[in-house]
Amino acid sequence: MTWHVTEEDLRAYARGELTAPLLWSADTHLMTCADCREALTRTSDPQTLDAGWERLDAELDAPRPALFERLLLRLGVADHTARLLTATPVLRRSWVSSVALLLMMTVVMVRTADSPVLFLGLAPLMPLAGVALSYGPVLDPTYEMTVVAPLAGFRLLMIRTVAVLTAGLALNGLATLALPGYGLLALAWLLPALALTAVGLALAARLGPLAGPLLVGGAWIGTLLVAQARESGTLAPFTPAGQSAAAAVTVLAAFLLYRARDRFDARPAGGLANGPGR
Amino acid sequence: MTTTVSATGLTLRYGGTRALDDVSLQLTRGVTGLLGPNGAGKTTLLRVLATVLPPDRGEFTVLGHDPGTAGGRRSARRTIGYLPQSPGFHPDFTAFEFVDYVAILKELTDRGARHREVRRVLEEVGLGEVRGRRMKRLSGGMRQRVALAAALAGDPGFLVLDEPTVGLDPEQRMRFRELVARRGEGRTVLLSTHQTEDVAMLCHRVVVLAEGRVRFEGTPAELTARAAGRVWRSTERDPGARAGWRTGTGDFRNVGHPPEGADLLEPTLEDGYLLVLDASRAEVTAP
Ligand SMILES: Nc1ncnc2c1ncn2[C@@H]1O[C@H](COP(=O)(O)OP(=O)(O)OP(=O)(O)O)[C@@H](O)[C@H]1O
Ligand SMILES: [Mg+2]
Repeated sequence: MTWHVTEEDLRAYARGELTAPLLWSADTHLMTCADCREALTRTSDPQTLDAGWERLDAELDAPRPALFERLLLRLGVADHTARLLTATPVLRRSWVSSVALLLMMTVVMVRTADSPVLFLGLAPLMPLAGVALSYGPVLDPTYEMTVVAPLAGFRLLMIRTVAVLTAGLALNGLATLALPGYGLLALAWLLPALALTAVGLALAARLGPLAGPLLVGGAWIGTLLVAQARESGTLAPFTPAGQSAAAAVTVLAAFLLYRARDRFDARPAGGLANGPGR
Repeated sequence: MTTTVSATGLTLRYGGTRALDDVSLQLTRGVTGLLGPNGAGKTTLLRVLATVLPPDRGEFTVLGHDPGTAGGRRSARRTIGYLPQSPGFHPDFTAFEFVDYVAILKELTDRGARHREVRRVLEEVGLGEVRGRRMKRLSGGMRQRVALAAALAGDPGFLVLDEPTVGLDPEQRMRFRELVARRGEGRTVLLSTHQTEDVAMLCHRVVVLAEGRVRFEGTPAELTARAAGRVWRSTERDPGARAGWRTGTGDFRNVGHPPEGADLLEPTLEDGYLLVLDASRAEVTAP
């Protein structure tokens, strides 16, 4: 051990005022360092000390936050929110598939080099897919158990959507850096991405968690194909007019989604595993 | 006794099947048992009352909240603990992580308090020792108890348990009954089961459901009393009996309309239940 818990931190620890992630470092360290345990005994009265030990005992069961969760905590995300975002395999799978999709796209893009169209066309689909994969009974085995919890439903969906969007947009942004030659045009995926996600969710409220996003994804590809058949220059969605349309669609869809929020809570999206379909 | 959960005219169809047909019932504090044959609509009724599924028709209130409205549903859900008939799991979660995850969704957001609660409920179902073990390495009965612990987290005022004793060994079943009896004090518990002993030993009220309708609602003693004077012993199988089976002593135990001068036996809750089901079948076949 090269470091020790400072006197000040030990006192805060004994009073139960030390917060994560410092608290965890202190816990881990105290388990292995006799000197610091001694110091702790000296700095605190017996009663607070007992409480401290009990807490240490409790910490031992607590899920060890993985790297990504610790990162979120450092960014200031509340501990329970970080847990919700990282603990569920469903969500992890959706992150992983998003990243894989992105890498694939980048490779394809670099291979076909000449124009960013393929990248611009595929990039908006990624956040949509990530969000669609992050909820719904089909993908969550504990769905029936948790669906009646007050935080499940729309609130959980929003927490996850914001997280998936943030990560998806950040990854897309990184990929954009690989296209310096196209200037602002390389960012033209951003508004369509927001529009597709918002429309996908608004439709999911009515059609279920798979049909909604699938329909939107299909419509987007259709639009691109039609645009491509029509003109030879920049495709319609990536022109200023197309971008404005995407922005308008985003706002409208977000509004509709908010209006329909109760649908996510009122009945299981897409039906239960051995339950009724919608 | 004050009513805590009250339902009127609940109806729910799955396509052509009418799973619930005009179900009305009142629950009070304490443990109510829900009996009924396979396909009777027990799971459907519990799902409706636990706010998993909205009914096609009918209303209900849970501890004064109306789940038919968005606000009422959220308030009701804050008081509900639900154990589904087949709870699913994330296989890589430890028992602790699983209950912790459910507890977060129940809005126990303070880390310290939540972890204390998770430990408490895991102790309560007798799994304090294995709380660090992954779900995929627990036995089926242990998983069932982890799910029960998750339902108990946050001390819900209305506990809905769908066949909670399935898969438990006899000792665990006794412990479960103790636990639920303790929980039933001051809270409302509704559990479905195929075990008439569960009802006889645990419940202060019993509801019998068949073909989506309530066929009986009353105390276990009242259900048993339905079979008073209708259970008898004979040395041969009695062809007039609704049900008859050979017991350990070699004699037949018959339930139905006893013949003149029959050797009557003390009825059990199961006899009463069989007769209620029999009466409901007769009603269905008779025009
Ligand atoms: N998803 C579904 N789609 C169509 N019919 C269904 C569905 N779920 C249940 N049913 C039907 O509704 C009726 C009631 O089913 P339910 O699961 O409520 O019965 P149960 O009393 O819980 O039975 P068990 O004792 O077997 O658990 C049955 O006729 C069943 O076939
Ligand atoms: Mg059932």
